[in-house]
Amino acid sequence: MNPERTARVLVFALALALPLGVLLTRWAGIPRQGGEWIEIHGRMSDDGGWTPDEITVDVGEVLHLRLTSDDVVHGFAIGQSNFEAVDVMPGEVTQATVTLEQPGRYVFYCTRWCGVNHWRMRGTIDVRGETSEPDTAMSPLYQSLGIDLEAPHPADVAPPDDPPSSHRGANLGVPIPDRFLTAAYYRAHSPGETWHSLRAEAAAHQLTDEEVWDLVALVWASNATPSAIEEGGRLYASNCAACHGERGAGDGVMARALANGAAARLEDRDPSPANFTDAVQMLGATPALLQGKIIRGGMGTGMPNWGPILTDAETWALVAYLWRFQFGPANTGPDTAR
Amino acid sequence: MQTSVIGRIALFGLPALVVLLAPTPSGSAEPSERIIRIEASSFAYKPALIAVAQGDHITIELVATDVVHGLHVDGYDLSVTADPGQTQRLTFVADRQGTFRIRCSVPCGPLHPFMIGKLKVGTNWLLWRAVALALLAAMAGVVGFRQ
Ligand code: HEC
Ligand SMILES: [Cu+2]
Ligand SMILES: [Cu+2]
Repeated sequence: MNPERTARVLVFALALALPLGVLLTRWAGIPRQGGEWIEIHGRMSDDGGWTPDEITVDVGEVLHLRLTSDDVVHGFAIGQSNFEAVDVMPGEVTQATVTLEQPGRYVFYCTRWCGVNHWRMRGTIDVRGETSEPDTAMSPLYQSLGIDLEAPHPADVAPPDDPPSSHRGANLGVPIPDRFLTAAYYRAHSPGETWHSLRAEAAAHQLTDEEVWDLVALVWASNATPSAIEEGGRLYASNCAACHGERGAGDGVMARALANGAAARLEDRDPSPANFTDAVQMLGATPALLQGKIIRGGMGTGMPNWGPILTDAETWALVAYLWRFQFGPANTGPDTAR
Repeated sequence: MQTSVIGRIALFGLPALVVLLAPTPSGSAEPSERIIRIEASSFAYKPALIAVAQGDHITIELVATDVVHGLHVDGYDLSVTADPGQTQRLTFVADRQGTFRIRCSVPCGPLHPFMIGKLKVGTNWLLWRAVALALLAAMAGVVGFRQ
């Protein structure tokens, strides 16, 4: 090979490698230097969602974000973190700074409804670093209880004519055994199962069936603090009501779009959002099942998976709120210290 | 004399009756409580035209069904913003007569500037009837005085 040719190839290769290298380091998600701003564009998920949708940082590194929207109003939040959600407006730049102190994979997501696929507008932040604490992520309760989230779960007892009332239940003067009044009992049993167990209690033998339902309401109220209901209500309004309806009847503004969407084309799958006012379905559901569905989602039904986004406490607050659609809004116990 | 009394009754009494009893185009003359649900989606309001009577107490329920939309009433300078799943209410008294433009106040996509509607605040028929009656009475008085 003559030296002139070698030199030419070398110059050519260098000229090519420089821009390629720059591009590659950007794409490969090589951690950015502290202090550099990362610009994130939001678009409806049908038009591409977030760009970029993968970010890598080191533990404790300050992440400076410049957020903007290319179409409609979006919002930005990071799941499982205490980062306050910010609005992301077209034609404006929202600056935000966040430091993630625990290594792991975080999901950032849109917080303002932007169409039926709004909840698919998600991205990830990989936080790299040594884990200081052992992995505390527990498996969700529905798994350890062996609950099949797909199985139909109608209550095997006729629902009461009127919504059960913990207030009436408390006035019956019938003591409820302590074993019914723990969080562990509540989470693992449906109202229907609880009704059967309470029905069989000696103390309840002269009560009517409706009155036993009032005792069930009392058991449920003892697991719902006003502050949890309030938090659940806030989460429900912003994340769930668009599909499940503001009154829980499964008739939210997105229900029509869901009926025409991809899930509707799956064989024997009903695309409509669950109706929380349906007594037969709800009174046969355990809190663990509802929480499991919230965490894992419907896997193709249109029900989102909230596991990467909501904390354990938030999912239980939502479950407590969902029971309002059966037991009425006033069904809460005292707000004990949390 | 007889004829002039009948004539006067015919001249002023009949119009007075008409003024009192004529049906109003907007229905009732009493200010009423009105709840109006407006759905906002794909750059349009449904309904896009709302007609109310002057003095009505209006509650607009804004229901966004795709993305976040807003509703701004020009002239009244009132705004409300609704996210899908969170119906928002705007309550006001329609005390200004006229036709006012309704616009989306939240950028909701390429056709956002064309997302408009209309609020028509009709005539306050009670007021105008009273004015007409007063005028008729005044005219009757003047004519009576002259004779
Ligand atoms: C995009 C629409 C959509 C959103 C948003 C949504 N869901 Fe659903 N959800 C569905 C659909 C569709 C179903 C029925 C199919 C299924 O069970 O997978 C469902 C089912 C459920 C079920 C199962 C009920 C049962 O009896 O098995 C629960 C619980 C639930 N949703 C809770 C929630 C909560 C809580 C939120 C908000 C944090 C939420 N959903 C947000 C669409 C949605
Ligand atoms: Cu969005
Ligand atoms: Cu709009």
